[in-house]
Amino acid sequence: MRNLLVLGLLTFAVIPALSQNTLPDVKIRNLDGKEVSFSSISSAKDTAIVISFWATWCVPCITEMETLNDQYSEKQKEIPFKILAVSIDDARTISKVKPFVRGRGWDFDFYTDSNHDLKRALNINDIPHILIIKNGSIVYQHTGYTPGNEEELYTKLKMK
Amino acid sequence: MKGYLHFPLRTNFLFCLLLLLAEGHAQLPNISRGHLSGSFESYTQFYQPDSKINAILPQDRVGSNNYLKLDYNYNRIAVGIQYESYLPTVAGFPFTLNQSKIVNRYFRYTADKFTIQVGDFYEQFGSGLILRSWENRQIGINNALEGVKLHFNPLPYLNLKGVYGRQRKIFDYANSVVRGLDAEIDFSKLRSNIDPKTRFTVGLSYVSRYQQYTGPDPLFPATVSAYGSRAEISGKSASLSLEYVYKTKDPTPVNGQDKTSGKALLINASVTGKNIGLNLSLRSLENFDYRGERDAIGTQLPVNFVPALTKQHDYLTPNIYVYNAQTAGEAGGQVDLFYNIKGKRNRTSRVAINFAQYRGLSNKNDIFSISSNKYFSDFSIEWKKKWSKSWNTTLAYHNVYYNKSVVEGGIHDNISANILLLNALYKYAKNRSFRFEVQNLFTKQDDGNWAAAVAEFGFAPAFNIYVNDLYNYGVTNIHYTGIGGSYAKGATRFAIGYGRQRAGLICVGGVCRFVPAATGITATLTTTFNN
Repeated sequence: MRNLLVLGLLTFAVIPALSQNTLPDVKIRNLDGKEVSFSSISSAKDTAIVISFWATWCVPCITEMETLNDQYSEKQKEIPFKILAVSIDDARTISKVKPFVRGRGWDFDFYTDSNHDLKRALNINDIPHILIIKNGSIVYQHTGYTPGNEEELYTKLKMK
Repeated sequence: MKGYLHFPLRTNFLFCLLLLLAEGHAQLPNISRGHLSGSFESYTQFYQPDSKINAILPQDRVGSNNYLKLDYNYNRIAVGIQYESYLPTVAGFPFTLNQSKIVNRYFRYTADKFTIQVGDFYEQFGSGLILRSWENRQIGINNALEGVKLHFNPLPYLNLKGVYGRQRKIFDYANSVVRGLDAEIDFSKLRSNIDPKTRFTVGLSYVSRYQQYTGPDPLFPATVSAYGSRAEISGKSASLSLEYVYKTKDPTPVNGQDKTSGKALLINASVTGKNIGLNLSLRSLENFDYRGERDAIGTQLPVNFVPALTKQHDYLTPNIYVYNAQTAGEAGGQVDLFYNIKGKRNRTSRVAINFAQYRGLSNKNDIFSISSNKYFSDFSIEWKKKWSKSWNTTLAYHNVYYNKSVVEGGIHDNISANILLLNALYKYAKNRSFRFEVQNLFTKQDDGNWAAAVAEFGFAPAFNIYVNDLYNYGVTNIHYTGIGGSYAKGATRFAIGYGRQRAGLICVGGVCRFVPAATGITATLTTTFNN
């Protein structure tokens, strides 16, 4: 029983503290349909990476993306970061993703995760869900979007 | 500290070692210890009787769906489990269960040129028209395969996939096996390894399902096979893709013991430019229901994925008449146009237009014999305008035609509806916002007119409260009123609501979900951690 307790502590207290790096090596696709490895595109050393999970049918996601898009170039002058927008649209709506983002005039790096391999590997329940990755480690996450949430994101991005 | 001093020596030692390791981690930040990720999701409802909306009232008036998932990866190895607990299932879920179990477990090894996974896995070939195993907790689908899957990249331009396993059937497995092979060749990489401007790929798939047959017919197909081929050419600003799947005969109760083969053809084309995007999808299919067991119906044991290719709506009233793909036979398509007009000082206008139409087939074995029997059509135009830093609005109009007899079964009048919708967001301080939505659905058929309104206050970064009402003032005079709120911190979110809910997709407080018809309290807790 006590061993079990220690094992529990190991799982929930210590492993998280020990864990570092090696983000899941899951394949997602870019807008041309080419497979890319998530761990390679998220391992930049000198810049923070924001991953935003969204879909073309999710109104709060679109509100969040539009807010981030309108402030993107301005904020990038202050903080070195880039946004990778990962759409979880499946076969029902995936063909709309590229025309949608071009038609909206958004300016992020776009990827698709149509059978949710990455969403599952990072244990994301609902969208919108946003993550900050610095030096290969996830340092911040937020689920849901309420207007103004972007301020917290920028604050976290500025933190060393 | 006294708490663990009296532990047996070994345990104590282990505990100290763990503390040491944890300390050591601070000094040796470069040592990778892998990545641990987990999530918990609980969706709980407390029901009250409400005969007015025919709400499903379970015997003990509580439904609770809970999911715990853990995944760990270290270098090339990944392992994970999923535990599900239904205490019991929420009302309106596609199955009823009062049980808990570890349902998924897997081990995966990734090498340079291949990945092997044993245990439970998800997979999709092409667009999923031939094979898709996936999970959707809101609608209660999980057809993960239990067995082996292999991805193999022997050459830079060749991608091979193989799967073998049995499908998950709620807390059990289907009494059949599903086998599949898929090969994708990237012709643009045949000669050089450099990413070309134009990609040209071809894919070939084979999927078969074997379920033992014990009946008297010596020619009965116990094995049902499907053959798929697809091709895609995509450049910077245009792409074209085609997919064709042929399925051997498969007499089932769903297709009325049809002894002919099935076919599906999917064509997609898109053109994009700066600030503009156009997409066209065409699909025609017949006798294309493909399942793990012959007697399966509804959301049970799908082998492939045949979604309705129409606009997926995100507001209350457009979700009243929603189309469902007719696997017996249908032909149709949709076109989408998205464009934006940059205004002064970021005051952009964004426009989205969609038109979709589906019809029956006049010859049930010919996917090109489009009949005049219209199943569904939807024309919508949406205009989103940013007026200032604090104001933006969305105005939308829909015209819907819904053949209720075909989509829902039975004999009904065909429905023609018009919908007007306004959504406005006012950000009155840096982290304070107010959103309201008013909409009306006009129709002379079925339940007649519907009106809806939503008011929502956001207090970033954490709180959100809303009140909404969907009112049928045509026939039933029923108000579906709801009130609720949510609290989010980091990757944890708690939401609670009280009221009547009509079945459908609802998006409030930052997330979208499918919900069944019910009256009562709904509480949702989700959390994620990644370390």
